[in-house]
Amino acid sequence: MTNEQELINALRDPKSCRQAFATVVSEYSERLYWQIRKMVLVHEDADDILQDTFIKAWTNIDNFRGDSKLSTWLYRIAINESITFLNKKRKQNNVSMDDDDTFLLNTLESDTYFDGDEAQLLLQKAILSLPEKQRLVFQMKYFKELKYEEMSDILGTSVGALKASYHHATKKIEKFLSEPR
Amino acid sequence: METKFNNLQEVNRENPFKVPENYFARFNEEIMYRLPEKEFVPPRKVSLWEKARPWVYLAAMLAGLYFTITFVTQSPEDGGILSSRKEAPVPTTIESASDSYWSTVYITEEEFYQYLEDQLMSDGYYDYLYHQVYQ
Repeated sequence: MTNEQELINALRDPKSCRQAFATVVSEYSERLYWQIRKMVLVHEDADDILQDTFIKAWTNIDNFRGDSKLSTWLYRIAINESITFLNKKRKQNNVSMDDDDTFLLNTLESDTYFDGDEAQLLLQKAILSLPEKQRLVFQMKYFKELKYEEMSDILGTSVGALKASYHHATKKIEKFLSEPR
Repeated sequence: METKFNNLQEVNRENPFKVPENYFARFNEEIMYRLPEKEFVPPRKVSLWEKARPWVYLAAMLAGLYFTITFVTQSPEDGGILSSRKEAPVPTTIESASDSYWSTVYITEEEFYQYLEDQLMSDGYYDYLYHQVYQ
């Protein structure tokens, strides 16, 4: 793997920035895609958001001061873009911030790139019933198995608060799953 | 039919989401064509004077402040202006004052004693003294 500082220096150099950015894209596109996909569920939406994420990163690379890791900075952009997208979707569907986002399930069920079984669909429904922050923490930890320290850098929340958030989310999901339907 | 799970362990943890074939390879290629052209503004060269200017101004201000304070607070003998009571120049000694006076009077010693005697005679002082001593 390329040394991160060398990569950042190359990104700032007009002669090498395009080549360096191609390296960034190939290095992070898959990881960022899965983070976005878990949040917005549908492939086409995730694809659009991933493109926006890299275009934003490209246009703002001069503002990246290197205070955090490049991956942390990219994750932040991806998560912000996903949250902005979800807010737009809520508005379109007349859903308030307090309601859950189970309306996303309708599009998931018709998504050709989802082949989960009944339990996995139910799990997605349970996740969508969580408050936004708890949902985000659960998705990052349960599916991606990110370390709490990495999540803390990305979300700007303490490790303790993240652990508590994940614990509450797990309890709520288990309760949701155990309810007879 | 009842669907019920007792905990998360019972749910298949395998990723249920799929992507089109070669999606990431194509994405990585296509995104590079979609990136807008960047305008690089060459970093402006900052001259040594521009870098040092604030420090030079600060040094000049401190030096000015130092000299002002020194001038205001020094003793009046040294020319300070804090003490506004200017005392009139005092002659160092009486003698020197009288010396300077008599140095401008052009009479002889004999003329001077004659002058004193004339004063005493005219004021009747001589008679008074005579009566006091001899009567």
